[in-house]
Amino acid sequence: MEKNGQGKTSLLEAACVLMRLQSPRTSTRSDLIRFGAQACVTEGAVGGRKLRVAQSPTARRVAVNDSVCPRAGDYLMQSARVVWMDHSDMNLARGGAEHRRRYLDFAAAQLFPEYLNALKSYERALRSRNFLLKRDAAISWRQVDAYGRILAEHGAVIRRCREDLIQRVQEPVTAAHLGLSAGAEPGAVSYLPGYPGENLEAALLEVRDSEARLRTTQVGVHRDDLALTIHGRPAGAFASEGQQRTLCLALKLAQARVLEEAQGEPPLLLIDDIFGELDKTRRQALLAYLPAHGQKVITTTFTDWASETGVGGLVYEVEDGQLKERGI
Amino acid sequence: MPALDYPAPIRELILQMKSLPGIGQRSAERLVLWMMGRGHARAAELARALVQLEQRVGICSECGFFIERDSACGLCESDKRQKTVLCVVEQAADVLRLERSGAFSGLYHVLGGRLSPLDNITPSDLRIRELAARVPALGVEEVILALSADVEGEATSNYLADSLRPLGVKVTRLAQGMPAGGGLDHVDEMTLHHALSGRRAM
Repeated sequence: MEKNGQGKTSLLEAACVLMRLQSPRTSTRSDLIRFGAQACVTEGAVGGRKLRVAQSPTARRVAVNDSVCPRAGDYLMQSARVVWMDHSDMNLARGGAEHRRRYLDFAAAQLFPEYLNALKSYERALRSRNFLLKRDAAISWRQVDAYGRILAEHGAVIRRCREDLIQRVQEPVTAAHLGLSAGAEPGAVSYLPGYPGENLEAALLEVRDSEARLRTTQVGVHRDDLALTIHGRPAGAFASEGQQRTLCLALKLAQARVLEEAQGEPPLLLIDDIFGELDKTRRQALLAYLPAHGQKVITTTFTDWASETGVGGLVYEVEDGQLKERGI
Repeated sequence: MPALDYPAPIRELILQMKSLPGIGQRSAERLVLWMMGRGHARAAELARALVQLEQRVGICSECGFFIERDSACGLCESDKRQKTVLCVVEQAADVLRLERSGAFSGLYHVLGGRLSPLDNITPSDLRIRELAARVPALGVEEVILALSADVEGEATSNYLADSLRPLGVKVTRLAQGMPAGGGLDHVDEMTLHHALSGRRAM
């Protein structure tokens, strides 16, 4: 609390890595390790289970209740679901489609056990296919198509999961948005598939000419996007900054709702320094809309708003990487 | 004063050992020192075995499996094997794995790897042309693709299936599913998914 650069976000990041084995900040695993250190270890307890993640620059080892878990999938099944909220959520409305696909991936990977494998295989096949399209002067279509069929197989799984996720998220998004904007503005989200029709293999055949010209894979779930609207108009172009912020918050809150419904228990909410940027009404609406029972970890540089809104809970001070308890 | 190190021949052998898969600096040193502790007879035995490997082992030009040089291939030349079924595998070691299962009595074809454009492995690096020549020459009726079930393996299977289709031969691939003697709790979701979609009527 109080000053910047004391380690508030690192604390949340550690919790996120411990639960989901990924950081919202970076996908380079060695970035998780403190400067000058050889490795990092994160430990914690969730639902009576003790979790541990150890990361060196080259290897990661995860354990549940002190027994090593060889498969990351098994570990993730035993840990908790997570929703991460910070100021970069604005990118959902304003940024490129990759931010919205990241939102889809983070949520879908926690909802559907088959999602992460399909995504990894899809990305691997896509890299190979794009490389094949670029490598030769005369494209070897037989090799390209060998990868196209793999894209179609995994792409179908990814699309099914994303469609399902957005279908579940739609209602909570609209509800949360109404709550946050005091009933004034209807916000909505819908799924924009990255290829026409049901079959990606057939869609790839359709765009063969342009692929021969542009030399990259032109259709597929790597081109998926979300349409965010307020009052039926695209939020990225026509909404004010405050409206965009509200809609992005609603997307994250809806994610928490959906995970809670699927899992039967609310996810861990990691909220990094967003309360300072909200006005009083939105702050109160947000606090009211957070899942009542689940654990929430909130960082902030000042606590005035907390006393004004009557939020309970324990307060810790972070100073120079050290935690210290203090009363409100 | 230069830093003290082993004499050159020892350094050379350590370097050679280190280039083997799964062996690092420490293991290489340990192996070399162990061998020196056993005297020259031990080293000579190893040297002879290595020379023999080079001199006596060849690869069957038909199936790609190991043979003793200048002798017939025990698989291709055997008259007990079914010549109308051909099983395609990635590595020579896969042949033994399938053989030990005793479930297959046809002929084999070792590809010598799998397609991987990012590692610069193209169809011409694998024994695909040989496969396309063998199928009509032997009068093969069915080609079984027994490649790995990851992205590269699947891509290679797809490529082979497309390449073999014009020859009018039946192309099949291994089923994916439940391991023998295991309960549902030991199977990951992906395998379970495949096992469900490939279920059989009883």
